[in-house]
Amino acid sequence: MTTDSTALAPIWGVMLGIAGGVIRGSVPFLYVSLGECLTQKSGKINLGLEGVLLLGAMVACATAVATGSAWIGVIGGGLAGLSLAAIHAWLTSLPRVSDVATGIALATFGGGVAFYFGKPYIAARPPVLPSLPLGAWSDLPLVQSALRTSPLFFIGIALAFALRWFFRSTRWGLHVRAAGDQPQSARALGISLGGVRTAAILAGGFLGGVGGAHLSLYFPGNWNEGVSSGQGWMAVALVIFARWQPLGCLWAAILFGGTMAIGPSLQAAGYGGYYHLFNALPYALTIALMIATCSKNQRLAGQPGGLGKGE
Amino acid sequence: MTTSPAAAPTPASSPWGSRLNAVLAGAAPSIIALLAAVLLFGLFCFSQGASPLAVFASINKAAFGSWYSWQNTLVRAAPILLAALCTALPARTGLFVIGNEGALVLGGLGAVLAGLATQTLSPVLALLLMALAGGTAGGLWIMAAGALHHYRGVNPTILTLLMNYVAIALLDHVVEGPLRDPASLNKPSSRALVDSHLLANFSGTNIHPGILIGIVCCLLAWWLFTRTPFGFASSVVGGNPRAAALSGLPVARIVLTATFLGGAAAGLAGMIEVAAVHGRANDSLHVGYGYAGFLVSFVARHHPLGLIPVSLLLGGLLASGGILQRTHHLSDATILVFQGIVFLCILFSESLRGRLPGLRGVVTKS
Amino acid sequence: MTPTSTLTPPAVEALAITKCFGSFTAVDQVSLRVAPGTFHALLGENGAGKSTLVKCLMGYQAPDAGEVMVGTRERAINSPADAQACGLGMVYQHFTLVPAMTVAENLVMSRADLPWRINWRAEHARIEAFLQTAPFRIDPHRLASSLAAGEKQKVEILKQLYLKAKFLILDEPTSVLTPLEADEVLGLLRAEVTSGRLSVLMITHKFREVFAYCDEVTVLRRGRLAGTGRVKALSESDLARMMLGEERKQTPVVRTSIRSESMMEVRDLWAKNDLGLDAVRGLNLSVRTGEIVGIAGVSGNAQREFVETLAGQREAEKGEITVAGIRYEPTRRALRELGVHLIPEEPLKNACVPTLSVAENLALRTFDRPPQARGPWLLRHGQIAAAARELMARFNVKAASPQVPIATLSGGNVQRAVLARELGGPAPRVLILSNPCFGLDLAAVDFIHRLIIEVRNGGGAVLLLSEDLDEILKLSDRLFVMQNGRLVYETPTATANLADIGRHMAGH
Repeated sequence: MTTDSTALAPIWGVMLGIAGGVIRGSVPFLYVSLGECLTQKSGKINLGLEGVLLLGAMVACATAVATGSAWIGVIGGGLAGLSLAAIHAWLTSLPRVSDVATGIALATFGGGVAFYFGKPYIAARPPVLPSLPLGAWSDLPLVQSALRTSPLFFIGIALAFALRWFFRSTRWGLHVRAAGDQPQSARALGISLGGVRTAAILAGGFLGGVGGAHLSLYFPGNWNEGVSSGQGWMAVALVIFARWQPLGCLWAAILFGGTMAIGPSLQAAGYGGYYHLFNALPYALTIALMIATCSKNQRLAGQPGGLGKGE
Repeated sequence: MTTSPAAAPTPASSPWGSRLNAVLAGAAPSIIALLAAVLLFGLFCFSQGASPLAVFASINKAAFGSWYSWQNTLVRAAPILLAALCTALPARTGLFVIGNEGALVLGGLGAVLAGLATQTLSPVLALLLMALAGGTAGGLWIMAAGALHHYRGVNPTILTLLMNYVAIALLDHVVEGPLRDPASLNKPSSRALVDSHLLANFSGTNIHPGILIGIVCCLLAWWLFTRTPFGFASSVVGGNPRAAALSGLPVARIVLTATFLGGAAAGLAGMIEVAAVHGRANDSLHVGYGYAGFLVSFVARHHPLGLIPVSLLLGGLLASGGILQRTHHLSDATILVFQGIVFLCILFSESLRGRLPGLRGVVTKS
Repeated sequence: MTPTSTLTPPAVEALAITKCFGSFTAVDQVSLRVAPGTFHALLGENGAGKSTLVKCLMGYQAPDAGEVMVGTRERAINSPADAQACGLGMVYQHFTLVPAMTVAENLVMSRADLPWRINWRAEHARIEAFLQTAPFRIDPHRLASSLAAGEKQKVEILKQLYLKAKFLILDEPTSVLTPLEADEVLGLLRAEVTSGRLSVLMITHKFREVFAYCDEVTVLRRGRLAGTGRVKALSESDLARMMLGEERKQTPVVRTSIRSESMMEVRDLWAKNDLGLDAVRGLNLSVRTGEIVGIAGVSGNAQREFVETLAGQREAEKGEITVAGIRYEPTRRALRELGVHLIPEEPLKNACVPTLSVAENLALRTFDRPPQARGPWLLRHGQIAAAARELMARFNVKAASPQVPIATLSGGNVQRAVLARELGGPAPRVLILSNPCFGLDLAAVDFIHRLIIEVRNGGGAVLLLSEDLDEILKLSDRLFVMQNGRLVYETPTATANLADIGRHMAGH
């Protein structure tokens, strides 16, 4: 057995690292991007998902430690995210308040609150979510450990499909799309813009909080002030990449999760020289994406018409 | 459209009177917001078992209570002030940039490279070159974002946010790799600058010239953006790009200039941190001065002169982190919470603008 | 619901409706009755209260006094859903279709009784069945954003019929249609009315439509009922008198003849619209000194994109513009040296900075030259303020002071300010205007028209784009029709034939 694992060529180590990274690392991306997708479809931008992520992670850890159950911790994280997003929903409903600035303020505030109340939990070992051993078919421990999957991964995939169905075949989904694409038409139909958008922002916050919970309750599986790699900040870019489609968010999350794993995988395989630069890869990728897909006069395909117009 | 509401009666024909009225009307919501933030923060302290009054007294003491405190405050306020220009200047052309941190870091990196390359030159020349290098590095960085926004329509806020991470990664890579000082084992750093190339403190004090440089930059920025044709043009660009295009204004040139100048200021902050505080480049460059600068600019509503008092306030706040921890057992995250509260209150106050009775003076560009 | 009302449209009556906005009375004790199965016109100028009255009928606003009767009973209509339940439906000037959704999704979404979960198979079947009996047909799978203006209007009407409206209110339905499309739509609706399936209340200001399609007409003037009656018993001058109060004396247009040479030439201009599709397609135009060239056309034929290209707000893909023989790029220097002045539509959005003061907006052309600037390093606010006061007096711009933000001025005063800025300096050599009088009262319109004529008589080359054909016919020396991004028809105004113009506007 041992000879098998050491005979594994480094390239496979890197590939497995990336595969594992995709499975583990894509989950926060998936949840924040689905949450932001829902929010943006209704016409609002929430740049504060980083704060939501951090607060969700911290509260999830605290709740799990207090109740002994990781799943309750996940719910707790989601609710924390929802509460923070509620501030965003309220503030941005006031006149002359910028969506973008509010998001950044919330990220600052949410992060601060998370760090402050999270101090006692830094050394804590919370109960973690169960891992589904997708690699059980292999004898190689490396493969087995790389393919351990959290249940939130599958729930997330299901959520992506559910969100797509929601937008297509439910009354509320149509209302959300109308509110985001042409607010005055939605108003003419008697749709309450404030109600729809608030619900979308709150739901987005809940999903972001769940994404954060995954960080502290699965991978890396504890709370500390560096637990986030900026997934919340990248949510907006992910949604652009996904062309505001839920399934697109799935692919975007997988891509980014994989990219984020390249640095650590290479370092683990002994190529540590460019560690920092590889860690910058997801951000650089997002930037490249934004440059490639944006265009001066035209609106991006799929972008809700009322986005960023403050109506 | 309704006709304009009767403006608050301006003191008869006194230009200073009406200008004062305008400044007050502009500043009032911000001042109210700050007071509200102080109140909310006091409640927070109270909920954590600390007496709000005692906490504020401590902050005051640590920030402004003694000459020693003042020095602490001024040393922190300097990079924040310069970094704040990185948001304030592009904001006047309608761009909201949060890349202060990245520009500062790259400015420090550029300065160190220049400093290490000019070890044999005279100190004055070397410092000038370092300033030039730092400013140019930061300026080009933010100008790139400005160009991408102008020519490709990329959202500058998200772009510069992401660029921060790239800049920090670049710094970490360079400092741990090519530029690494082999003697710095615990904390990877670049090689140190020659002593003569360091920016000395004012004699007899612990303050380096950074704060003075910052104030001068703010004054120059104020003049440029409110008292020159260029400043007028940039407020047109920021107010309505379509009207700017209609008037034939060179929008690209204005946006690129504003972003370059803003980034250069932040880069200069980085240079000063390297030359006056650390003497080398390492990850002490990204401690959040950039993000603090962003907040300061918002509180000051992007007015170059308003940045000065707000930076002092925030510098004082940051200087009191230690005392809060030691005396009141409030962790360093408390400062972050306070900043967040301030930020949210300022945003809320924007919605009150123009609705405050009695101070409804004339609100034009500040 | 009583059995008879399911098939026949109800009588709808408004009794003494009054609606005030603050101190301004928009509608004052207006009563209106639309008998079942009739086509009723609601006539009036801009600001007469037509839209407000109709919004009260439809439940968008609650009237301060008065009642609405549907059938024989008084109904409390407090919301659009209530109106829909009574069988009332309204089709707006501004489309209410959501662009990113298909026609089917738009139709389905408008139903108040939509279940939370949509069974698309059943819904598509229902739509198909409905389309069999509808007066027009549209492919329900098309995206609303891909529809042309005329098609959008049809879908809007279909939507109301889909919602089983028996009483249809149309708000200026033909303002975005070509004369041919307008005839088609109104003709089909007329057929529905005649066969007793529908009642229609149509807001319009076009006499032609009133006489061609309507049974009865109600005229509003300044919020009050100015007259009502059967169309057959009224003449055009009757209607005009009711609408305007008295015979309107048209200020005659005095044209002096100028030695004319070509001033502005546009050659093969191409530009794209916001969606990346070709909008302006190879436009060629020549404007001579001392003439007003009018460009008529239904909105949506790239007029906006054309003006934006001239203004430097949109990049041209191809083509060339020359002024006095020199290639024209919209730089500041060219604007000044070549004397080009532009007054785009929606001035607050396109030509002003809303947060800056009136004085600053007035200085937009002059702030970087003496006396308002001394060198590149000093701006002289005192000079700006003095110049503003002078311009405001000359052009009668009413504002509390030159220092108030221009956004606080009324629409008419904003337009006057823009005119002051563009016409208050040296006489323009080239003046380009787009819908300069949209939404303004008669006095402002007269003032602006006089200024335009003055520029022309002073030797300027004037290009006037307008959706108001009457304005083009009154002012221009010769006119073009713009259709689908091209100029398709040219005629001297004196010998213009309305039928030909209409045909070209429709693309024939």
